[in-house]
Parts: sequence; C-alpha cells; structure tokens
Amino acid sequence: MPMVLLECDKDIPERSKHIYLKVEGEDQRDFLPISNAATIPGTLSERGCAFCGAKLVIGGVLKDTIQMIHGPIGCAYDTWHTKRYPTDNGHFNMKYVWSTDMKESHIVFGGEKRLEKSINEAFDEMPDIKRMFVYTTCPTALIGDDIKAVAKKVMQERPDVDIFCCECPGFAGVSQSKGHHVLNINWINEKVGTVEPEITSEYTMNFIGDFNIQGDTQLLDQYWKRLGIQVVAHFTGNGTYDDLRAMHKAQLNVVNCARSSGYIANELKKQYGIPRLDIDSWGFSYMAEGIRKICSFFGIEERGEKLIAEEYAKWKPQLDWYKERLQGTKMAIWTGGPRLWHWTKSVEDDLGVQVVAMSSKFGHQEDVEKVIARGGAGTYYIDDGNELEFFEIIDLVKPEVIFTGPRVGELVKKLHIPYVNGHGYHNGPYMGFEGFVNLARDMYNAKANPLLKLAATDIRGGNKAALKEAAE
Amino acid sequence: MSEQQVKELFDYCQVRYLWQFFSRSWDREENIEGIVNAANDMFHGRVIKKHTPMERLFYADAKEMVKDFRENFPWIEQLEPTKITEILDGLKSMLREYTITKSLNHELNHSLY
Repeated sequence: MPMVLLECDKDIPERSKHIYLKVEGEDQRDFLPISNAATIPGTLSERGCAFCGAKLVIGGVLKDTIQMIHGPIGCAYDTWHTKRYPTDNGHFNMKYVWSTDMKESHIVFGGEKRLEKSINEAFDEMPDIKRMFVYTTCPTALIGDDIKAVAKKVMQERPDVDIFCCECPGFAGVSQSKGHHVLNINWINEKVGTVEPEITSEYTMNFIGDFNIQGDTQLLDQYWKRLGIQVVAHFTGNGTYDDLRAMHKAQLNVVNCARSSGYIANELKKQYGIPRLDIDSWGFSYMAEGIRKICSFFGIEERGEKLIAEEYAKWKPQLDWYKERLQGTKMAIWTGGPRLWHWTKSVEDDLGVQVVAMSSKFGHQEDVEKVIARGGAGTYYIDDGNELEFFEIIDLVKPEVIFTGPRVGELVKKLHIPYVNGHGYHNGPYMGFEGFVNLARDMYNAKANPLLKLAATDIRGGNKAALKEAAE
Repeated sequence: MSEQQVKELFDYCQVRYLWQFFSRSWDREENIEGIVNAANDMFHGRVIKKHTPMERLFYADAKEMVKDFRENFPWIEQLEPTKITEILDGLKSMLREYTITKSLNHELNHSLY
C-alpha cells in the first residue's frame, strides 16, 4: 500500500493520490504522487497564489526596481516582508511597498487611470529609480485593465524608465508555481537581449534560482569572485533589472532552484544556445561538486580545487562538530518543493540526519521524481499537505526537528517539536560551506534548546484552571 | 555485462545527478547520451571534444561522474575497455527507462517548457 490514505483524509480519499510511503525496492516508475494539480476541495491547502509566486519569490527580490501591484492593498502587504532577501544597497526592496490600492469604485469604473497615476507618483517620489515591475492581480485581471498599454504610455512620456508587466493574477494557476513560470517566460520574451553588458572576465555565467535568502547570493558571490568568474545576472538574488536584460551574454547558466527558474534556463538554452548546468548549493559535497563542474566547464579546475580546499579547511571541522551531535536525528522538511531534493541527501551525507517526511507545496512531478530518487525507504512524500495531515504524519514518524515555514512552525512549536525556518532560515545564509554550518548550528540549537522541555512542563500544580476550547 | 554492476552505477547516479531529471524527454535524452558517452571516452583515455558549449558541459558533468565511479566502484578500473563500454551502455538504457520511457511524469512530453 505505497499510496497512503491517512485517517484524517477518510472523507477526501482523493488525497491518497498525493501521499506516498516509499517501500524498499520501489522506485518512481512504480508510484509518483500527483503534484501541480488543483487542490482538492475539503483540504486546507497551504499554497500561495500565482501572483505571489511571481512577485514574492522572483520579482520582489530585485534591488533597484519598484514593484507596483495593481490591486487591493492586501495583495501588496501580503507579499511584502514575508521573505528575507537583503541587498547590498540598503535593502531597497524590503523597505518599500507599492500598490494602486484599488477600491470598489475603481473596480466599477476601471483602474487604468489609477494605475497610470500610481506609476508616475512612484517614479516622481523616487527619482533615482528608473525601473519598475507592474503586476496585475485577481480583480484587475477580471475587469480587463490593460496594464501593458498603461506601461507603454508612461514609457513614451518618460523615456528614461523601463517597465515590465507581469500578467499573472492569483487565480491563474493551481499554486505559486504558475507565477514563476509566467514571469520567467515573459521576461525572456520581452526583456532579455535589450541590454548589452560590460564583460570583464573571460568566464561568464548567469546564476539562476537563488534569491539571496539571508545573504545566500552574497556568500556564493565571494566564491565566483575568487574564481575569476563574472556573474552577468543573478536571477534574482541581489540582482538588478538591467543585469537580467543582459542574460543572453553569459556562457553558462548555473541553476540552483530548477522549479522557480528552470524555465528561463531552458529558454536561454533554446533561444541563445547557452548550456544549463543544475547544481545543489546546499551541503558540502554538493557545493564542492558544483564548483568543480563550473570550473571544468571553464577549464579552471586548479582554481576550483584551491577554493574547495580553503573552504573545507575553514569550515569542515565546525560541520563535523555538529555532525557528531546531530547524527541519527530524524528530520521533516515541509517547504515549497526543491529544498526537499536539495536537502534530503545533503543532510544525510554531511550531518548523518535521517529525513523521515517531506511535503511540497508547489513541486511538479519532476521534483517528486528527484526527491523519491534521493530519499529513503520508510519516508513519507506529501504533495500539497495540510495541517491535519501534518499532525498525523508527526505521530507516524516522530520527527525530532522540522524545517518549514513560520506558520506551520508555530503549529509544531505548540507540539514542543523543534522548528527551523526552512524558507527564510533562522540564522542564514545556508548555502555554500559556511552556510551549511549555519544550517547545522540552527538545527542543533533548535534540538538542544532546553526551553522545549520547560515549555512542555505544566507548573500549575493543583491549581489548574479548566480551559474550555472554543470548539467545544 | 554484469547487471549487478550496472545497477550499482545506476543507483549511485539516481541519488547524485540532477541532469537526468531535466524538464522534458528530449533534454533528458540529450544529457544521458552526451554525458555517459563523454564518460566512456574518458575511461578509454580518448581526447574529449570541448569545442561547443554543450560539449564542455557534458565534459564537466562526465568528469565528476568518472571520478565518483572510480572512487566508489574500484572494480571499474579492473575491467577491459570493451566491458566498460558495455556497462555504460547498460547504464544509459537503465537511465532512459527510469527517467523517460517508464517515467510517470506527465509533463515530460509537453511541447512547452
């Protein structure tokens, strides 16, 4: 019975097609849970919307770009400040949020004039900023506001500005994954090839699918500088709008997050003949392997070996200290999609940690294939999981630490299970050699924290006040 | 050709390499063919072609794979060159079967990325 119907799902038996328990001797030819499919009515999904996938994950990372959200104010607020992607110019992207603040009358009479006014206001208020993304949202898409026409008019009137329109309302797909796709494809079709970059190195690449979560990009950038490789564009960690317009000039596309950004790497290969190299940037042996492959591509293997030796000498003893203490820890990973397959073997190989359950919000079948290939038998693989399922899975596999988002994190903390922020990190960056030591430290601190035991101890003695649950 | 030896290499590839899991059937096929062929050339001590960007990419991936195979499966060095080719051909077939022909991934043959 490899596909699993959990007790909590007995009234929505379709959920069994999304939950898989790997058994020894089975592989992804035998069973592949359904993924990237519409959420089943009756399950409380934890997915985001398609607009969120475009804005919060990819566009909003850029450090020199106004993110104009054409919709009600909530669409702006709820996709701002919930990810931690700093920049080296004072975190412009995290300081400000922009919205056309659509109200009922604008919906009734149309919002194009309001959008035009908002775009001009934003550029006037921030005269140093000349680049903008405009996003449509559910209501403005439904009333048919032509955001491209508005952007074109503004660009004609203000020739020094450039605007990219992302027409991906929240309802456009089954999850945030659709927003990744729309932004990737529209960007390459409309903007790549419109700027010629200054080439300063014999070796050039784009680094794709890394969003500078707590400084990931900036940490890896030190490696590329030491290797003498010019990163033409970061898609999109600590990146700029115009760098992304110049992606066609790189010799190699190095891809970390293949789910959010594989599309643009595929298109750069198809349209410009730039090869795509997928790597894992989390974990010591994976990171070393990635560096070796990049250096082999450019014929600078000796530089790569020197860098790896220096980094191992500096960080491996610290990793080993944590490995000694984390060996055998049972871990659950409940994140978006790719971190399941990026992490499951790296925590096992580098830290001796055993991953017992993995849940993906928006992974596609390609991601599920990867994670089942890399993951162990006896591990649960869940697509689009919900809270009740998480409770049941916790009972079944008893994880000792859970890497997930803050909302599910609050849930598991109440069960006195250590939680680490698997999206925005606790104390990152987590990529690279130094980063994986940070991950190990956060895992160790979460697990060894004495507060967990204290929080589970009821000190009220005999004076317990009976609490009535709201649901009773 | 020893099926057991092919399976050992295949199992290692499955947990290690992302190139077999690209988005579509055709680019999975391209990677499997290009990388395993380059690896075969390396085992035979042939000069590897690195004229085009794709040849350089296959070289980079194959080089790591050959190193990994030599470290983890020392028996491979003891084999006759023709035997190595047979085993790597078996590896290609197995990779194709798992990731393309018998894959349950319905997106593999979609015309768009």
